[in-house]
Amino acid sequence: MEEVLIDQVTDTFAEDGGEILLFFVNEVLYGIDIRFITEIIGIQPITIVPLVPSYIKGVINIRGKVVPVISARRKFGLPEIDYDEKTCIIVVEVNETPVGIIVDMVRAVQSVMPGDICSSPGAGTVNPSDQYVSTIIESDGEIKLLLDIHKLVLE
Amino acid sequence: MGKFEAGMEGMIDTYVYETTTLMEQLDQILIKSEAKGGFDDDIINEIFRIMHTVKGSSAMMGLENMATLAHSMEDLFFIIREEKPVIRSYERLFGLIFSAADLLSGEIDLLQDDSVPLTDFSAQVQTIKEYEKELRSGIADGTESAEKTVSVPVYFERQDNPSGNGESSVKVYFEDGIEMENLRALLLVNNLADECTIVSHVPEKLENNSDAAEEIVQNGFIINFVPVNGLQSVLKVIESSGSIKTYEILNGGGQSDGKAEKLNADLENLNLNTVPDNDTESAAQIQIPESEQSVQPAQQMRPDNSTPRGQQTASQPASKGKQSLISVNLNKLDQLLDMVGEIVITEAMVISNPDLKGLRLDDFQKAARQLRKLTDELQDIVMSIRMVPISGVFNKMTRIVRDMKVKLGKEVNLEFEGETTEVDKSVIDGLFDPLMHMVRNSMDHGIENTAQERIDAGKPPVGTVTLSAYSTSGEVIIAVSDDGGGINCEKVLAKAAANGLLTKPESDYTDKEIFGLLMLPGFSTNEEVTEFSGRGVGMDVVKKNIEKIGGSVSIESKAGVGTDFIVKIPLSLAIVDGIEVSVGESIFTIPMGSIKESIKIKGNQLVKDTSGREMVMLRGACYPLMRLYEIYGLEPKYSDPYDGMVMVVEAEGHSACILVDELIGEQQVVVKPFSAMLNRYDVKRNGMAGCTILGDGSITIILDVSNIILDK
Repeated sequence: MEEVLIDQVTDTFAEDGGEILLFFVNEVLYGIDIRFITEIIGIQPITIVPLVPSYIKGVINIRGKVVPVISARRKFGLPEIDYDEKTCIIVVEVNETPVGIIVDMVRAVQSVMPGDICSSPGAGTVNPSDQYVSTIIESDGEIKLLLDIHKLVLE
Repeated sequence: MGKFEAGMEGMIDTYVYETTTLMEQLDQILIKSEAKGGFDDDIINEIFRIMHTVKGSSAMMGLENMATLAHSMEDLFFIIREEKPVIRSYERLFGLIFSAADLLSGEIDLLQDDSVPLTDFSAQVQTIKEYEKELRSGIADGTESAEKTVSVPVYFERQDNPSGNGESSVKVYFEDGIEMENLRALLLVNNLADECTIVSHVPEKLENNSDAAEEIVQNGFIINFVPVNGLQSVLKVIESSGSIKTYEILNGGGQSDGKAEKLNADLENLNLNTVPDNDTESAAQIQIPESEQSVQPAQQMRPDNSTPRGQQTASQPASKGKQSLISVNLNKLDQLLDMVGEIVITEAMVISNPDLKGLRLDDFQKAARQLRKLTDELQDIVMSIRMVPISGVFNKMTRIVRDMKVKLGKEVNLEFEGETTEVDKSVIDGLFDPLMHMVRNSMDHGIENTAQERIDAGKPPVGTVTLSAYSTSGEVIIAVSDDGGGINCEKVLAKAAANGLLTKPESDYTDKEIFGLLMLPGFSTNEEVTEFSGRGVGMDVVKKNIEKIGGSVSIESKAGVGTDFIVKIPLSLAIVDGIEVSVGESIFTIPMGSIKESIKIKGNQLVKDTSGREMVMLRGACYPLMRLYEIYGLEPKYSDPYDGMVMVVEAEGHSACILVDELIGEQQVVVKPFSAMLNRYDVKRNGMAGCTILGDGSITIILDVSNIILDK
C-alpha cells in the first residue's frame, strides 16, 4: 500500500509535474511534495522524549495536538546547529499522523514540470541524505533533491 | 449507499444497532439451549420473534437477502412451534441455526461498506428449506395445511387464543413524511402479536404494497384485535413503537373508553422515548444508565438468567414502566469527554495563572475551590456515562468457546468472574479481538488434547477456561486463565531459537522472559497451523491491540497447572491526577495513584546493598533508588540524592524510590497518547504512558511507574 502511494506520487510528477516546497538543510536545496505539508511554523519549545533515536527531537504542542518533531540534520547524519529565526518546522502528515521536520531555512514553493526531473540518485553522489531522495530536479540552473517523505519519516 | 432503500440512510445506525443486539441475544439463547440439548416453547417463541423482527426491519431497509434468510429461519421455527416435529439430530439443527445467525451478523458488519455487494444467501436458504422438508417428512401424514401455513404470516393463526376482552380497534397515524408506512404498520402488527390476537387490519395487504402506504397516510392504519392481557398492554406496545404520531381507540371492546384524555400525555412520553438522532457517523451506540442504580444495561443478559427475556426490554424498551435508558451516538460522548478535558486544562490555566502570583485573593481561592469541585464531579459523571460492564465482551466468548469445542473435540467449560466490572466503552471495543485470540489460544494450546491426559494429570476431565475481571485503584485487570498443561519453557526456547528470536544464550532466559518470547512477532509453537491459531500472529496481535488501548499483557504459567494471560488496562484513559516533577530541563508528570510519598532524604538514609545497588532506608524498610536522569539520560540539576527529591512510588505491589530534582506542583492532566511514530520506539516499555499539555501550553511526559520500576 505504502509503496503504491509513493509510486503514485513520483509518477504524477513525471507526468503532470506538481508543486514542491523548497528548503535548505546544510546549504543543500531539498524539496517536499506540498500535498503532504499541512503548515510551516517557526521553531517552538520542544519537550524532550527520552530513549528514542537522536533524530527525534521530542514533541511540540500545535493547537492542543502533541506532534513529534524530527531533525532533518540529524536524520541526514549532519551536526546540529543552533536554531535561529530562520529555523523552521515543516509539519507534514504521513499516514494520517502529523510529524514536524526541523530544517535550516524554507525558501519557496516551486512548480515542477515533468521536464525538470533528471533522474533518481545514481552512483557517484556522496550526499548522506541520498537514501531519502526519490527524485532529482534541475531547474533554473539549480539542483533540488526531492525527498521521499515516507522514507524520511517512517524509516 | 447503494445497498439501502432510498431515504433509509438515516435509519442505518438504528437498524445496525438493533439488529446487532438481536443477533447477540440469539447467540446467547442458542448457546444456552444447546447446553440444555433442546428448545422449550418460550425459547422457540423468542427465536421466532427475533427472526421475525430481523426480517421485517431488513425488508424495510431494502436488504432483500437478509430478509429472505431471516424469513426461512422464521419458517423453520414456525414448523417447530406449530407442528412439533420430532427432531432427530439437534446437533444438525443447531449447526444450521448457528451458521445462519453468523451469516446475518457477518452481513451487518459489511453493510456500511459499499464496495462489498450484498451476499447471496440462497444456498443457505435452500439448505434450511431442505431441512424443513426432512422435518416435515418425520411428522405423521395429514399435514396438508402445512404447505399453506408457512407462507401465511403467523399473526393470523392465533384466533383460537383465549380472549377475556371483546374485539377492539385502534387507528394509528404515523409521523408525517416518515415513508414506508406499510412496512412500519407490518412491524407494528408483528410487535402486537404477543399482546393480542389480530383479527384484521386495514389496509389488509401490507408487504410489497406501496398503495397501502398511501392509504395509511390518508386514512390511518386500523387494527382490529382481541387483547390477550387487556387493552392497556396493547396500547403500551403501540406507544413504545417508534415513529407513531398519534393513535385513537375506535372501539375499546369490553374495556372502558375513558382513556382518550390520557392519550396526549402518553404521547408526550412517547416522544421522549424515541431517539431523534439520525447521525450516520457511527453505528456504535451505548446504553446510558439514567442513574447509578441502573448501571446494568437492560439488554445485558446475565449468565444466571436462564429465561431469555432480556429481549423484551431491548426491543421494546418502554413496554415495562418508565423508560430509563436511551441510546446515544458514541461520537457525542467522545466530544463531551474532549470538552471536559479542555475545561480541566482551562481551569488550570485560570487558577494557576502567572498574573495572579503573589496576590492575596481569598475570595478567588474560595471560588476556585468550588470550581474545582464541580469540574471533578463533571468528570466523574462523564466517565461513568462511558462505562459499560465487561460482560458484553465476555458473553461473546461463549460463542467462540462453543465453536471451538465442536471443532477441536475438547470438553471445556467457560467460566466468568467479575463480569459486572465496568470499563470505558472505547476499551470494550478494543478488547474483543485480543480476548478472542487469548481464549482461542487457551482452548487450542492450553487445554490438554484429550480427557485422558487430564485424568492422568489428576485433573477433572473437562477443562476450564476462566475469564475474570476486577478493578484496582487505577487499573482494570482482565485475565484469561486455563487449567491446562501450562507453557513448556523448553519447547518455547527451542522454537524461538529455530526462528532466530533469541538474543542471548538459552540458559540466561528467565521464565518471565521466555513467556515474553511468545508475544514476539512470528512466534508460534503449534506445529500445525489450525483454523484458530498457529499462524504466528496471535499473541503478537494481542499485545499490539492491548497496547493500542493503553494496556499491557503478561503471561503467567505453571507446568501442569495452567496458564494465565493477564491484561492490565488503565481505568480512565483520559484524565489523571498527577504531580509534576522536574529533572534538569524536563518536566514529568507522575500519576498520583502510584505515589506513596515524597521525601527529602538525610543523614544515613542512603545505603548500598551487597551488589552495590543504592537503597533508601525509610522507617525500617529498604527501597531501591532509581535516578530518573540516569534512566533517561538527562542532565540533572542535582545528581546527589541528598539534594534532590525522592518520590516513593508503588506499582503492582512493588515499591521503589525515584530521584528527581524538584517538585513543581499538583495538577489534573488530560492524557494524550503518543503518536504512532513514537510508539514504534517502545516508549511505553520505557515508562512513558503518554503526554499532556499543561495550562501554559507546554508538554510534559506522563510516567508509567510500573514499567520504570519493574523493568529495571
